[in-house]
Amino acid sequence: MAKRRSIAAVALTATAAMLSVGMMAPAHAATKYTIAFVMGAEADPFFKAMKVGADAEAAVKNVTIIWQGDPSVYSPATQIPIADQVLAQKPNGLVLIPTDPTALQATNDKAIKAGIPVVNVDTHVNDLSKVTSFITGDNADGGAKAADALAKAIKYKSSGSYQVVVGLTSATATTNVGRLDGFTARIKVRYPHIKIVDKAYSQSQPSVANTNVSNWLTKYPKLNGIFAIDGTNAAGAASALQAKGLVGKIALIGYDAYPGNVDLIKKGVFTALVAQNPAAEAKLAIDYLVATLDKDAAGIAKIKKNVVIPNVVLSASTSAADLVKYTYVA
Amino acid sequence: MSKGELMDSVKTRVKGILGNQQVLLFVVLILMVAFFTWRNPIFFSNAVFGNILSDWAPIILIAVGESFVIISGGIDLSVGSTVGIAGVVAAFEMEHLTTSHHSQNFTLIVGLLIAVGTGIIVGAINAFLITKTHVVPFIATLVTMGAGAGLSIVFTGGGPVGGGPENAISMTVPTIGPLSKPGIIIVILVLIAWAFLSKARFGRYTYAIGSNSFAARAAGINVNRHLAKIYILSGILAGLAGYYYYLRLGVGAPTSGQGGELQAIAAVVIGGIALTGGTGKLSGTILGALILTTVTSGLIIINVAANWKQVVVAILIAAAVLLQQLRSRARK
Repeated sequence: MAKRRSIAAVALTATAAMLSVGMMAPAHAATKYTIAFVMGAEADPFFKAMKVGADAEAAVKNVTIIWQGDPSVYSPATQIPIADQVLAQKPNGLVLIPTDPTALQATNDKAIKAGIPVVNVDTHVNDLSKVTSFITGDNADGGAKAADALAKAIKYKSSGSYQVVVGLTSATATTNVGRLDGFTARIKVRYPHIKIVDKAYSQSQPSVANTNVSNWLTKYPKLNGIFAIDGTNAAGAASALQAKGLVGKIALIGYDAYPGNVDLIKKGVFTALVAQNPAAEAKLAIDYLVATLDKDAAGIAKIKKNVVIPNVVLSASTSAADLVKYTYVA
Repeated sequence: MSKGELMDSVKTRVKGILGNQQVLLFVVLILMVAFFTWRNPIFFSNAVFGNILSDWAPIILIAVGESFVIISGGIDLSVGSTVGIAGVVAAFEMEHLTTSHHSQNFTLIVGLLIAVGTGIIVGAINAFLITKTHVVPFIATLVTMGAGAGLSIVFTGGGPVGGGPENAISMTVPTIGPLSKPGIIIVILVLIAWAFLSKARFGRYTYAIGSNSFAARAAGINVNRHLAKIYILSGILAGLAGYYYYLRLGVGAPTSGQGGELQAIAAVVIGGIALTGGTGKLSGTILGALILTTVTSGLIIINVAANWKQVVVAILIAAAVLLQQLRSRARK
């Protein structure tokens, strides 16, 4: 009897839990259009900041937003089923942030074939010919700007010799690859006496990034600088530098303006942070889709096939207003 | 002693050494240190040992809990996500207390209690599912693993939670040799756990339940109550590991314990504790965890891609399991 009661209690608890989660789903008010955003890892603060921009613009344009992605996994295997479910809801427009340019091509084309205009944001599919627009931050430019900021911080001279390390999340994420390529190319051309002595991957875990940087700080006693290629690596590198008492002695260039990282600029832990503008990307994507759906000739004329939103380098000399403006708000 | 007797004596001694997993693990550890030092002498330094012990501290905490669970015949897959959720829940409270201008020490103590409390809650849920609803440990802890990982992302939005006491990171700086103050406390906790498992009634009950739960029950052991204590202990240790990560990073990161359950199980298996339960020693787990973290630092120091760590760990696990089977056959 006790066992039956326990099973009944568990079943009731599970049902109540599922119902309460279901209640959390936003109710769709009557709006002009429904635009779906489908991304990789929904929990990434970059996408959280993008959602803030999307929600603000949706309110202005009287649009309902469907916001869907895997909670934390950045993978086509998890994104494709989510995209299919979203398309089954027949949104009026789709903003696709593909986790893989090849794997998401079919989903992209399926939406267009169903008469749903598609904008790619941040990353893109291989064939962009039928896509309304591709809007992105420029990762290669961000990497190049990081190299410039690093060279400035270490007071680069052509007579010197400098060692830097790069902390990445994965070897294949297109954002990481783009930033590293931009960073490496700029160093090769402008700062040939800077040598990238090591790089390692953190698999999105700040604790792993911390381990990597802690060991590098021991291994390279003459290390001049660190390029932490994303928010995760920035958090791990910042804590390692603080623990070793090397703040201000080794230049740390981070990426992504998470609120915690921006605070660390003020404390001198980060020499500079390369910030993107995900909210602006989302705003433009909605504007383009609404113009397309409205068949607004003037609006359609303004649509650019490729838009690159420039990155901004934040440092201690950046004005307080700009620091607030570019901090990712989740 | 004749030549034949001498040979027999040597053979017996060699067999004895090979049959002792702890001795073998210690030899493997020494060989690793020697190898990494040979490839890059900087490896044999206080700073690198400090890095290794900083990595070892949270892993050994969850591995100790996992050892108790596995010896009792169960498994706890939730330890990794408990690390994450305990860290972020504590971080939120510490952020709140800091903005309310409470002292750093008070804030850190409250954070510690919150992290441990979160671990107790997860452990109690596991214990309830396993002992009251009779869900097998693998499924019960799979449920809490998923829920814990999901909730930490829901709470944080995926990003790190900072804004807590500014002296958090400085606490993990080595002060006595390669050990920091929290590191010393963790070593003491591990020694207490070792004494509990090998010398106290708590340990004897754990082994008895893992060997044969029916016989243990017949012998008068309250099996359910003891299992509940073990899963709560595992939750507490995972909560402490989450708090340690907070101190180390200065932020509560929802991904901090990601894959921690596999690291804990790897340390346990390499340490010679059989997944079937009832056997094994905590000293093996301590060495197993130390080997795992030595590999991580060693590969970085000698310029080998860190992804090779997984290959090295896989080989170590295979070797450990093979050794267990050989010893089991030898006994038969």
